[in-house]
Amino acid sequence: MKNKRSLFAVPYVGWMALFVVAPIIMVVIYAFSTAEGGFTFENFARMGTYAAVFTRSFWLAILATLICLLIGYPAAYFISREGPRFQRIAMALIMLPMWMNFLLRTYSWMSVLENNGLLNRFFSAIGLFRLINGLFGTSFEYFPMINTQGAVVLGMVYNYLPFMILPIYSVIEKMDRSLLEAARDLGAGSARVFRKVILPLSLPGVLSGVTMVFVPSVSTFAISRLLGGGTQMMLGDLIEQQFLGGAYNPHLGAAISLVMMVIVVVCMVVMNHFGEGEEQAVML
Amino acid sequence: MKKANRGGSRLLIGLMFLFLYLPIILLIIFSFNAGDSSAVWRGFSLHWYNQLFQNRLIMESLYMTLLVSLLATVISTAAGTFAAIGLYSLSRRKRDALLVVNDIPMMNADIVTGVSLCLFFVAFFQGWGSFARWFNGIQSAVELPTRLTLGFGTLLLAHIAFNIPYVILNVAPRLRQMDKNLVDAAQDLGCTWMQAFWRVILPEIKPGIVSGALIAFTMSVDDFVISYFTAGSSTSTLAMTIYGMTKRRITPEINAVSTLLFLTVLLLLVIVNVREARMEHREASREPRKPSLIERLAARTSGPGWRWVKWGAGAVMACFFVAAVMFLRGATSSRPVVNVCSWGEYIDTDLITQFEEETGIRVNYQTVESNETLYSLLKSGGADYDVVVPSDYMIARLIEEDMLEELDYGNIPNFSLIDERFRHLSYDPENRYTVPYTWGTLGIIYNTNMVEEEITSWSALYDDRYAGNVLLINNSRDALGAALLYLGCSVNTTDETEIREAFALIEDANRRGVFQGKVMDEVFQKMEGGNAAIATYYAGDYLSMVGNQADGVDLAFVIPEEGSNWFVDAMCVLKGAPHKLEAETWINFIASTEANLANMDYIGYASPNRVALEEYPAYYEALYEEELDQETYEIMAAPADVLERCEVYENLPQETQQLYSQLWVELGIG
Repeated sequence: MKNKRSLFAVPYVGWMALFVVAPIIMVVIYAFSTAEGGFTFENFARMGTYAAVFTRSFWLAILATLICLLIGYPAAYFISREGPRFQRIAMALIMLPMWMNFLLRTYSWMSVLENNGLLNRFFSAIGLFRLINGLFGTSFEYFPMINTQGAVVLGMVYNYLPFMILPIYSVIEKMDRSLLEAARDLGAGSARVFRKVILPLSLPGVLSGVTMVFVPSVSTFAISRLLGGGTQMMLGDLIEQQFLGGAYNPHLGAAISLVMMVIVVVCMVVMNHFGEGEEQAVML
Repeated sequence: MKKANRGGSRLLIGLMFLFLYLPIILLIIFSFNAGDSSAVWRGFSLHWYNQLFQNRLIMESLYMTLLVSLLATVISTAAGTFAAIGLYSLSRRKRDALLVVNDIPMMNADIVTGVSLCLFFVAFFQGWGSFARWFNGIQSAVELPTRLTLGFGTLLLAHIAFNIPYVILNVAPRLRQMDKNLVDAAQDLGCTWMQAFWRVILPEIKPGIVSGALIAFTMSVDDFVISYFTAGSSTSTLAMTIYGMTKRRITPEINAVSTLLFLTVLLLLVIVNVREARMEHREASREPRKPSLIERLAARTSGPGWRWVKWGAGAVMACFFVAAVMFLRGATSSRPVVNVCSWGEYIDTDLITQFEEETGIRVNYQTVESNETLYSLLKSGGADYDVVVPSDYMIARLIEEDMLEELDYGNIPNFSLIDERFRHLSYDPENRYTVPYTWGTLGIIYNTNMVEEEITSWSALYDDRYAGNVLLINNSRDALGAALLYLGCSVNTTDETEIREAFALIEDANRRGVFQGKVMDEVFQKMEGGNAAIATYYAGDYLSMVGNQADGVDLAFVIPEEGSNWFVDAMCVLKGAPHKLEAETWINFIASTEANLANMDYIGYASPNRVALEEYPAYYEALYEEELDQETYEIMAAPADVLERCEVYENLPQETQQLYSQLWVELGIG
């Protein structure tokens, strides 16, 4: 019987060969060739100059993922404790903003964070600047929020938070409540129940969520341009520039994205390994 | 105790929703704005909703988005769920390896996925073409189409391809949680596999499927890069249309359409919940619950005899789907067609309708946001447009690379209306390929309330006095061009030292914190709202900013004394265009005086049509019942003495282009 079920994997493996592996092979070919078609390593030779972009992208993506986890986990957990109708509505409401175009949402954040934007005008209306300037002798007319790395991280968190909440929620919601009762009956406090039972059991969802936030955060483009002022380029922008910029160098673009993918794959494998280990520890 | 706890958690959920909805509320508010701005409020109006329903480009792309996203979601959810079940019955090592492969499309930068899928499709089409010709050659019973093009089908395949991994990623954790013995137990008790699936597996993994489907739908609605490269020349999704607008300004019509979508979904949610609440109520009053439709179907159709019925139903659905796709393709091919690609917000859309009524030719109008994107699309073979409207330097590049077709000016009598000044320009010296569309100038836009003096020189861009208030244009050609002009060099110089010197000027100013950021269309929002003092942008767009400036903002435009760039965007036909005659008919129509007047008024850029350019002030007066002041007119259409100071961009040699882009990346590395 088991064999029959694994047959379901066959069409997908075929599909992946066609639509995942074939394009990747093209990326590899591009990365190792010149515009004339010859084989070369040259596209990788300049990779060192982009080290700062790599570090910045990965660092900001990790930061965004952690913040998403810190907000998303409790949110998913609390929602799962509500009534079923509340849960359904909450889940739909979490996804709803994402159906407004990404660019529109980001522009909207721009007008919130701008020097003369909504938040700064709000702060000045409630007299916050006068208070702070009076207290500390500073001369703030506005808080510089736009065009900072903080704004970029905010943009990522805003855009990818639902991708963290959804998988965590769907795992917690499924959890066997009797396990929690059993733990409590055996004398565990709620903190202990959470740490020893809920958290380990929800790890698969956390892993999915982290993947879905971290991976697109690394390669995101436009957020750093719109919210970060574009002076601090990220990997997505760098790659985009090779394809859609003045020089049109898809070979270099492919090489950069290949290096990025390799690093991400390594990160994922390490993380999954860690995750699986945890899961087994719980089983034991 | 318990109550207080719940209050706390609700507060946290509430705060999270505030965070999620703050920008959405703003977006909705600005859909009711009387002005064009998405940052400066000009009073309440339903103007944009009214406009929306007349804007065919937006409505068509909305329809396309819903169709593609829904189909892609349904298909990828079903396929992804079965694939996940399949993967979970494999040994762990195999499964993990396959899951890594599964994650690859998510890891890849969208642009890379888009380009590689496009190359893949194009290669496949070529292979298919030779196969079909061979096959048609050896027999005559079946005639296979030899020329396949990108379109709805490839767009849908691409969307399914990037959706499936997300579905699997959501279903997988639930499968991991599920007790594997459950299915075996069900089967031991006499269930067929299908019954076990409907009764045991599906209820267990349902939340995972739902969240997978939600994410897939979201990804589909939001994607634009991959769509760009796989949609071909006749289909556009809403996201593509929106990005196409970012060369200029995203119109509030987009806010309006988003608001309508949002409210529709919200309404659906409310209806579903009210119904459910009613059902729960009935249940509470002890009426037996009716099984849901799916449960009833599953129960009734689980006998072995039903299997064939189900397969049959599946086949009928598949046929229906194929028929729908064929119909869509057929609808576009039964009439003469012309595929046009231009910038967003760069045509009075009434002209498209008028042209279709006059000639019976259907116009597929697609938009992109920059010359470079257009070039990249053409290079990867993803676009078989007939007419494109690139700028001067890009035209020169396309001619140089033999990508344009010579025009038959016999079919374009209106070319005679084009002013002598705009013929035989450096990008097309013999004027064999192009008919000018619009022209304009680049200059400095500044907020007189944030600047003490009248600005007359490019030096203001690098001035410490305006530290933190200057917006650098995010386009290496324009940014370096301004610096070159300031240094007294030509914008077309190929001298590396001159270019490096110009770059040093920018880099130095950047280090001193003069620039607030690098911007393109964000400049509208920032200048109108008084968030920056000085920016470089195009004359026509300045006029649109002035009309939307906030209180306390007073914008001015100047073409600096060192000179500037003046640009021409012109219509050309691509090499091997399948509808050349229709393309020339379109070009002739757009070159007419009436079309030029309408476009000049809509776009705000100057017309190259001699008569239209002269008549515009009168046209304006008749239309708006007020006089067009001379100053505005001269900003739109720079007078001869100003044009004399300005240079047209020429196509730079490959090495210089590489230098430009390398320097530009260096600036971004920071």
